[in-house]
Amino acid sequence: MTQAEIKLCSLLLQEHFGEIVEKIGVHLIRTGSQPLRVIAHDTGTSLDQVKKALCVLIQHNLVMYQVHKRGVVEYEAQCSRVLRMLRYPRYIYTAKTLYSDTGELIVEELLLNGKMTMSAVVKKVADRLTETMEDGKTMDYAEVSNTFVRLADTHFVQRCPWVPATENSDPGPPPPAPILVISEKDMYLVPKLSLIGKGKRRRSSDEDAAGEPKAKRPKHSTDNKEPIPDDGIYWQANLDRFHQHFRDQAIVSAVANRMDQFTFQTQTSSEIVRTMLRMSEITTPSAAPFTQPLSSNEIFRSLPVGYNISKQVLDQYLTLLADDPLEFVGKSGDSGGGMYVINLHKALGSLATATLESVVQERFGSRCARIFRLVLQKKHLEQKQVEDFAMIPAKEAKDMLYKMLSGNFISLQEIPKTPDHAPSRTFYLYTVNILSAARMLLHRCYKSIANLIERRQFETKENKRLLEKSQRVEAIIASMQATGAEEAQLQEIEEMITAPERQQLETLKRNVNKLDASEIQVDETIFLLESYIESTMKRQ
Amino acid sequence: MAGNKGRGRAAYTFNIEAVGFSRGEKLPDVVLKPPPLFPDTDYKPVPLKTGEGEDYMLALKQELRETMKRMPYYIETPEEKQDIERYSKRYMKVYKEEWIPDWRRLPREMMPRKKCKKAGPKSEKAKDTSKGVSLTNTADVLKKIEELEKRGDGEKSDEENEEKEGGKEKSKEGDEEDDDDAAEQEEYDEEEQEEENDYINSYFEDGDDFGADSDDNMDEATY
Repeated sequence: MTQAEIKLCSLLLQEHFGEIVEKIGVHLIRTGSQPLRVIAHDTGTSLDQVKKALCVLIQHNLVMYQVHKRGVVEYEAQCSRVLRMLRYPRYIYTAKTLYSDTGELIVEELLLNGKMTMSAVVKKVADRLTETMEDGKTMDYAEVSNTFVRLADTHFVQRCPWVPATENSDPGPPPPAPILVISEKDMYLVPKLSLIGKGKRRRSSDEDAAGEPKAKRPKHSTDNKEPIPDDGIYWQANLDRFHQHFRDQAIVSAVANRMDQFTFQTQTSSEIVRTMLRMSEITTPSAAPFTQPLSSNEIFRSLPVGYNISKQVLDQYLTLLADDPLEFVGKSGDSGGGMYVINLHKALGSLATATLESVVQERFGSRCARIFRLVLQKKHLEQKQVEDFAMIPAKEAKDMLYKMLSGNFISLQEIPKTPDHAPSRTFYLYTVNILSAARMLLHRCYKSIANLIERRQFETKENKRLLEKSQRVEAIIASMQATGAEEAQLQEIEEMITAPERQQLETLKRNVNKLDASEIQVDETIFLLESYIESTMKRQ
Repeated sequence: MAGNKGRGRAAYTFNIEAVGFSRGEKLPDVVLKPPPLFPDTDYKPVPLKTGEGEDYMLALKQELRETMKRMPYYIETPEEKQDIERYSKRYMKVYKEEWIPDWRRLPREMMPRKKCKKAGPKSEKAKDTSKGVSLTNTADVLKKIEELEKRGDGEKSDEENEEKEGGKEKSKEGDEEDDDDAAEQEEYDEEEQEEENDYINSYFEDGDDFGADSDDNMDEATY
């Protein structure tokens, strides 16, 4: 783990779980797998607190445990999973776009709690939705359950590994830690529950109870004491599936940007690609370089209902997509009217390259970007050739090349003419190594987000006194309103915050918003680069 | 060497023209310090993306941050006492639900100890006698204490005692690994044994603190 990643993990853990959990988590990330006592000793925290912190981290799938020989249990942190915490808003928003408010709240509860049973999720979400509804209306458990089942069917939520129910045939001592297993086919199996009930408002629970038949009322009030029907079956959000969805989104929008601006019919090519991706959602594993081949007939049948393009037009579009130099779509055969695949790996590569180009352009200028694209295209170029092809004067070209070289976007490849590698008799070729440039940029992104978070915390701390004052004033106003105060009194209290202070608060709010929005946007870049690097590493 | 043009004169081992500098000595200065922390950039960054989705995610992010602080998973560090009592503190108290993890999914060592730490040695012995397996161990301890009492050698007996208790503890660990209570008692015993040692230490210690520590001889002054 690089220093930048560790720093970012530390900031994230501290913001979400507090300093004690942060200390334990960062220690585990730094030192790897360790047993309980060593952690307590090395971090200087009491055993009790280490246990609490580990329980929290394990609950949120950030730390795994493993039983080693001699019964020692070792704990290991998953650094990459910690970094996913940056992406929570994006996951929740995606769930909202796909499954509306119910889906959004289900995913939010699962992310906030790490793992939950289905019944617990349904109950909590129903309560939350009921809060937002008009008076007298409640959210039925059945509707929430349906959305949950749909999420499970499309693999957005999955079951956690569980303790296999062993019969106590061996009277030996139980292991120091349970061994959790899960089989592929069980991962999305929803237990047969009959969750009957409605969401409860915090205050008007009497109203609800009166409307329900008597038989169901005890279930609400005594559900703490009743055995939970799906006890032990925990669910978690399936982040890989969300990542697959983001990747598909990125590919579709790339195709739309490239192809659809020149067609009269809006977004046909991107719609075709989207259909192809949708058809391959469950059949293709997320790490595959290509989707399963789809025949043109199948695609025609699966197009969305509103689309009235004829078969020939579809074939033309497919041919156009397959011939495009971007190579997102490839033709793999001729049966069934033509078999087409989507080159996932190539698509990710193109997206990562586009990101690099964009960074070079914004950082060094468009002429540098031209040189960069040139070197990308021609793979290896000598200094003289760069000047000639890019049509940029020699001095400027050299300057730009060295700027990019010191920024590690471009690298030098030596080709010696003589075995003694004499510099005067060696070719020096400029080349772009996309993988290493992507890694460099990714590392920079981690640093950027760490800087953004630190700056945001600094800004908040600087204005802490003012923030606390405004909170106090709000609390006073709220309590006065509750006890029924006059308008004049409220006005007086509000004036406790002077105009320049209000200005300061406004500026603070604007800055914090900007920093937060920047974090979200940098995380999008991180996603693209990480996907590309992961896809490349899997192919090696 | 023949290649030297003269003393102190720099001679490049490569063709300087290739790098871009002519034969004249117009090389840039050597930089002796790290680059500035906040360098000026020639190109200003592009404005952030805006839109409905981005706004929603921003609001979500800030809400989540606040919500996480109120969840039971956020473990607070004990704060130092505030210097001024604030009126609004009454209204800003956050009520946190207690969270109990599913112990079946966690290693057994995660469970908090049920018994309190500061139980006296007497109660520990009482607990010991309630368990069948450790009866013999306790009897051994008592027997050894009697033997050592007879010997009357303070320091040595302490060490022996400690070793024996340490040894007994290990054997306890071996026998009672499968017992949940014993698992707790293992850790409990480790800390507890020290206290027991202290008790016995002071009982056997030479000279200095014997009179002062024992409860019985409080009234008498030691000369």
